[in-house]
Amino acid sequence: MDRSIPVWVAAALALVVLMALPLGWIGWVSVSSESGPTLAHYATVFQDPQLQKALWNTVVMAFWVGLASVALGAPMAWLTARTDLPGQTLIRGLIMASFVTPPFLGAFAWVMLAGPNAGLLNKLYRNLSGADDALVNIFTMPGLIFVVAIYTFPYVYIMIANTLALIASDLEEAAAILGAGRLRVAATVTLPMVAPAILSGFILAVLQALALFGSPAILALPAGFHTITTQIWSFFHYPPKVEMAAAFSIPLLLATALLLQVQKRLLGRRGYASIGGKGGRRRAIPLGLWRYPALGGCLALLACAIFLPYGVLAKAALSRAWAQPLTWDNLTLANFTFTFFEYSATQSAVLNTLELGVMTATVGAGLAALLAYVTNRRLIIGHQVLAFLALAPIVIPGVVLAVGLFIAYTRPPLLLYGTLWILFVAYVTKEMPVGYSQADATFKGVHPELEDAGRILGAGRLRVLGEITAPLARSGIIATWCFIFIGVIRELSASIILFTPATKVISVVIFDLKEEGQFGPIAVLGLFMLAMTFGTVVLMQRVLGRDFMGAKE
Amino acid sequence: MPGVIVKELTKRYGEVAAVEGLSLEVKPRELVALLGPSGCGKTTTLRVVAGFLRPEAGEIWVGDRCLSSPSAVVPPERRRMAMIFQSYALWPHMTVAQNVAYGLRFKQEVSRAERERRVREILKVVHLEGFESRYPGELSGGQQQRVAVARSLVVEPEILLLDEPLSNLDANLREEMRFEIRRLHEAFGITTLYVTHDQAEAMVISDRIAVLYRGRLVQIGTAHQLFEQPRTRFVADFIGKTNLIDGVAAAPDRVARGGLSLRVASASLKPGAAVTVSIRPHEIALAPASSPRTPGEGVNVLRGTVQRTSYLGDAIDYQVQVDGSDVVLRVAGPPPAAVRAGQEVTLTLPAAACVPLTDSD
Ligand SMILES: Nc1ncnc2c1ncn2[C@@H]1O[C@H](COP(=O)(O)OP(=O)(O)O)[C@@H](O)[C@H]1O
Ligand SMILES: [Mg+2]
Repeated sequence: MDRSIPVWVAAALALVVLMALPLGWIGWVSVSSESGPTLAHYATVFQDPQLQKALWNTVVMAFWVGLASVALGAPMAWLTARTDLPGQTLIRGLIMASFVTPPFLGAFAWVMLAGPNAGLLNKLYRNLSGADDALVNIFTMPGLIFVVAIYTFPYVYIMIANTLALIASDLEEAAAILGAGRLRVAATVTLPMVAPAILSGFILAVLQALALFGSPAILALPAGFHTITTQIWSFFHYPPKVEMAAAFSIPLLLATALLLQVQKRLLGRRGYASIGGKGGRRRAIPLGLWRYPALGGCLALLACAIFLPYGVLAKAALSRAWAQPLTWDNLTLANFTFTFFEYSATQSAVLNTLELGVMTATVGAGLAALLAYVTNRRLIIGHQVLAFLALAPIVIPGVVLAVGLFIAYTRPPLLLYGTLWILFVAYVTKEMPVGYSQADATFKGVHPELEDAGRILGAGRLRVLGEITAPLARSGIIATWCFIFIGVIRELSASIILFTPATKVISVVIFDLKEEGQFGPIAVLGLFMLAMTFGTVVLMQRVLGRDFMGAKE
Repeated sequence: MPGVIVKELTKRYGEVAAVEGLSLEVKPRELVALLGPSGCGKTTTLRVVAGFLRPEAGEIWVGDRCLSSPSAVVPPERRRMAMIFQSYALWPHMTVAQNVAYGLRFKQEVSRAERERRVREILKVVHLEGFESRYPGELSGGQQQRVAVARSLVVEPEILLLDEPLSNLDANLREEMRFEIRRLHEAFGITTLYVTHDQAEAMVISDRIAVLYRGRLVQIGTAHQLFEQPRTRFVADFIGKTNLIDGVAAAPDRVARGGLSLRVASASLKPGAAVTVSIRPHEIALAPASSPRTPGEGVNVLRGTVQRTSYLGDAIDYQVQVDGSDVVLRVAGPPPAAVRAGQEVTLTLPAAACVPLTDSD
């Protein structure tokens, strides 16, 4: 018997418990009552017109976010991957920034920019035009879609840019030599090859939108409508209606699972996109007169996602009254002192967040690495199941996961509710797919023969793991750590249900501050969060030696 | 120095057998090549021998130790073997010296100083003195190959396994390394199993060649035996160029196809049985039809028409349509060309060169 087997089996068991417990409880609670099994909760949920409305709102929002993300992401991917657009590095960098910006921070920023009364853009408009009404109102369905889309389009962008990077321009040139015009080449050769990437990018964007809690909570609730996630959250308001939350979680879960299945199919057939890829040189398509208008378009979009929101956050952090012009009188550091030294919740929230971030990233990256190793090297029977389980939480929106964990850990034997541990479990579960994918890619890059060579020369399996595999996988695993850390410090949708007064994290404090209308401290904490995020991103790029969005350059 | 015995080895992936009922013996100090086209199960066989894979049936013996059987597999690290991989599998995070010294660390009897001495020594043997502190990424393909060789030899393994070690090198270097590996084998005398899909490589390097086809051993023997007396169509075709004529045994020593009848190098054919005859192009003598001919004992004489001639530099390749038959024979002759396309020729085929292939495949 191989001495290493207990290690693999323990990792596998941890995973099963992590996944199975919350989902099992959701399913069970949604169909049980004091008098035995029942479908009553489902009936209540789906017959309530208000809940039907929330379902419909979610569908509308997710669909339009998907479309908008493709409309924004696809052209930018083409422009940066294929043309002589100036400033490509900058644009890629900014898209990356938008990728890691917590969407709920963007939503806050846009409240300050485009709130109907005090919103800066609306004030500017009124000053310039002398009109009385607002130019834009962010507290609407289109406003919500807009704010979600500008932080979701990078998913589509990455998908398409990476696909385009694999298609050699030879394929396009072959068509051009046969007499096809430029547009025709794009329509008959390039487009069909990236079509699966576009579609699956669309699905990815829809999935993001479906699972989102922060932006709808900030923009839809004041506008007077719910989405599924905000509705589930409100089921936890006193008195909590956990069975309803469970029953209402199921459609979201099913929709996510279904969409992911479709996406997998699409990607499965994508093989041909990479066929021409190897070694094919790419020549930039000249944009001619369109170079600068195209650049302007990209920058305008990125202004909406980055410059304006970051700017308004910085302004709010530094001013006494965020809506007033930034004059000397209005300038202050009081928000910082208030946030970090006077506001009671902040210090412990910062500590909690860091503690959870480090713990989750460390345990998560370790577990992900173990699992990826087991599945890559096929160390135990049933390793395919492990890969499936590790990726499974992707179908569980944060809010739904929280519902499951809430039910699972508010009762014996594991009374975790009220401690940081329940958040820890939530984060590890939620980040497992990202961590696993990263670690998996890492081990795919370590040729198994490197390990075999160690074995045959006399090293046991664990020694080979420590002396050969680990050093080679190190940078990949550090990157995994960073990915998880970034994911944890910005987490809101599960935290908002699982926190207790003693276990607040930064995102929850920001959300609380919103209820109190304290924009200055929100901005301060938001910037703090962004600083941590970008610090981690920089570390990760260093370690990986390339930008993390893409295929290797 | 023990040998290796592979007994009735079967290895399946799911339903598909990658290796089936393979038996093979490598004698002490012998170098046997496993030769066959890609996908025929060479790597699988080697990895079972190395202990990376568990066989579904059969056993691997080294000396008097049974190392693998379906019920028990001694792990690779306890087999006293070394292996050279197709990818070289050098560890990029270790220097050349660290790579080479790795296996010695697990030998208690080798002190640190002794280890360093042996590393220096073996690097000299593979002509890599002074490269100790380089990283594999800083070496050429050929040098990496040598490091891999050194790393395997330095541990003084009982058995050396090589999996297409030369296939990543360019043609010139490959040829050079063939002789180098043979030289090292003669110097160290380690029992070796060498996997390749290149018949020329197998012929240069090995004492004996085991030809694999679809997971089975079809023939084993010296290069000379395989070339002169192939037993199956596959072996005849895979090792060197040959003419294959499908016919029927007409007599114990005759094979007929249509109007063509050949004396063959066997007197024990079963009349009526299907037989394929293999004739090497260089065994056929070709002369203009007008020249005098002396049909002796045990010689087939055929008439034919040259369809085309190709100049190959060191030889001329003739395609000759045999009269009264659908058979086209390739004939190799020395330059300059004796005849031109369209001319009538006489072909002389010694019966001893007409090898009947009786095994299927
Ligand atoms: N890990 C594996 N899983 C499934 N099939 C495999 C695996 N490894 C090899 N095979 C199959 O077994 C057969 C023999 O493979 P291999 O031993 O690698 O051939 P060779 O080294 O002669 O090219 C091939 O048909 C190959 O597809
Ligand atoms: Mg092979």
